[in-house]
Amino acid sequence: MSGEHNEQPKKSVFRKEMSRRQFLSYTLGGSGAFMVGVPLLYNVRFAVDPLLKPDADGEYVKVVEVSEVTQEPQSFQFERLIVDGWYKNDTTFEAWISKDESGNIFALSPVCKHLGCTVKWNGSQDFSDEYFCPCHAARYTKDGKNLTVAPAPLDEYPVKIEDGWVYLSTTKPNSRV
Amino acid sequence: MAHDHHSKDEKVIYVGDSRVKQGGKFVPPPDYSAYPGKSEAFIPNFLLKEWMVGCVVLIGFLALIIAHPSPLGYPADPNNSAFIPMPDWYFLFMYQLLKYPYLSEDYVVFGTVIIPGLLFGALTLAPFLDTGKERRFYKRPIASSLMLLSFAAVVYLTVVSWDHYQHELEINNIIPEHIERAEKLAAGEDVREEEEETVIPIVGQSEVGYEIYEASSCLSCHASGLEGQASFPPLLGIGDKYTEDELVDIMKNGIGTMPAQWDSNITNGLTEDELNTLAAWLATQKAPAEDAASAE
Amino acid sequence: MLKKMYNWIDERLDITPMWRDVADHEVPEHVNPAHHFSAFVYCFGGLTFFITILQILSGMFLTMYYVPDITNAYKSVDFLQHEVAFGVIVRGMHHWGASLVIVMMFLHTLRVFFTGSYKAPREMNWVVGMLIFMVMLGLGFTGYLLPWDNKAYFATKVGIQIAASVPLLGPYIETFLQGGSITGAQTLTRFFALHVFFLPGALFALLAGHFIMIRKQGISGPL
Repeated sequence: MSGEHNEQPKKSVFRKEMSRRQFLSYTLGGSGAFMVGVPLLYNVRFAVDPLLKPDADGEYVKVVEVSEVTQEPQSFQFERLIVDGWYKNDTTFEAWISKDESGNIFALSPVCKHLGCTVKWNGSQDFSDEYFCPCHAARYTKDGKNLTVAPAPLDEYPVKIEDGWVYLSTTKPNSRV
Repeated sequence: MAHDHHSKDEKVIYVGDSRVKQGGKFVPPPDYSAYPGKSEAFIPNFLLKEWMVGCVVLIGFLALIIAHPSPLGYPADPNNSAFIPMPDWYFLFMYQLLKYPYLSEDYVVFGTVIIPGLLFGALTLAPFLDTGKERRFYKRPIASSLMLLSFAAVVYLTVVSWDHYQHELEINNIIPEHIERAEKLAAGEDVREEEEETVIPIVGQSEVGYEIYEASSCLSCHASGLEGQASFPPLLGIGDKYTEDELVDIMKNGIGTMPAQWDSNITNGLTEDELNTLAAWLATQKAPAEDAASAE
Repeated sequence: MLKKMYNWIDERLDITPMWRDVADHEVPEHVNPAHHFSAFVYCFGGLTFFITILQILSGMFLTMYYVPDITNAYKSVDFLQHEVAFGVIVRGMHHWGASLVIVMMFLHTLRVFFTGSYKAPREMNWVVGMLIFMVMLGLGFTGYLLPWDNKAYFATKVGIQIAASVPLLGPYIETFLQGGSITGAQTLTRFFALHVFFLPGALFALLAGHFIMIRKQGISGPL
């Protein structure tokens, strides 16, 4: 490109070899890429670190005594230590816990799968024995199956029963419906 | 391309390609156009060499970074009197300057403002102070020697300051925080614990005092582990703050927003003796010895 | 494909002359260490710029984790250095780069001084260069406080005391820098703002001036 002012081409014989100018350009490109690439590599890996960290599997947290759980879903609150980078905090979570027909205890997350509002058992007088979301009237069955509006069933907390207490872990997609 | 393009028809004639106009009263020192054929294109010829140097520097730089993690001491504590403050190395010469007589105490303004001001002022105005046409440093002895002298002074002050700091560390037997912390981290010790509020454990939970506590109205606000809740303060370590008699007084008369609890506990079936035992037990709630020592 | 895209843009914006001007302008051989090894002294300006670019890069990435708040600043620095992948390298790059950029700039200044390159017609560029020097020292001073450890805190206190000893204006400068009567929460946010927005802004403007003047005036001739 800027070769016109260097000198007249000494040899007019066309060869397939790499020209001096090409060599210089490649070296320039290579060293430039090295100088930009290496620092960028470290920095980008630093920035995307949260993507590459494995999700911490939530430990089971003691929530309520088994004897308190009934066929009718009840809301229980519990605290879990959330480690958010340098910020550690006990965050309160809510779970709707009930027994199914065969007496197995299960727990549902109150977060509506439509737009993330909070659902409530018997939240509307018009629909009894259903979870109801006040935002857009999404409804779910007792098992969390989505009836209207919401695209997916309510998330479920894995449940563990130990020494007469219900322990809950972190939410996962509903496995009941 | 520039050297042979000068024709008499051109209105503005530049020297070489350096955009310095030719002619006029001022005759610049020989520019590189005085050496025909001795210039080259910015890309790729010139930049390539510049970038080669850049690559070498980058490799050295990365080696330094990997070999020496950047220092981090303990969180800032304004009451830390054992800490020897040190500015970054490039401010050390100014820092050292302030230790000399006539540059400190009543004359501190000389050390902080006038001398640095003169130095930077003179340096900034160098082109207007040194107006000769001569560029070679050995042909302008005043400017060069002043520069060498200040340079030597800056190096000297920096070295003296650093030596003094090292000496201070040695005689006071101090390991700089960032080094101590890095060593502890490398040894797998938990250096972050100290930042957290230290949790004071319950003293004598199996004693009778705790049973009275559980039966009393204290429990409902200060919680079963004495850790308090919401705006109710913990009773852990309360023995460091109040004596047994003061605690009895607080129970009888209340403190702050806390109402008196003595009488209501009596009506709830506790005896005066039991409450006195409770106060005595609460007075034993002291933080463990080593915590008190490290908190200084 | 790329060529077509380039041509499409070039037709509309006529960008070829811009980069050709940069790419093809001639540089004297006497500053190229490939011809005379002693010419490596002419590299320090370029290296200062290179390290400055690295500082900007690592600084931008560091702010992804850093918070300028006295209760969290230290924790976030500790977190990003020890918990985040390559955090020790990114912070190291910024920490050691700050020193290296001062070294390079100092060497560049000495080279320009001893080759007499600041002489007419390049006086203005020297003055701009000195302003860059001062902005860089300001960046060093404000950046030193940000990790909020003891070293940062006490060095800043001393620095502010020095500024406070200026006659007449001293107390005002002190309050302005501290954002109050003590070195504390408000000082930290202030230093952060200066370090991340104001001083880099000034630096960019001065650097642009520095480079435009180099192109206008060319590199000084050989001695």
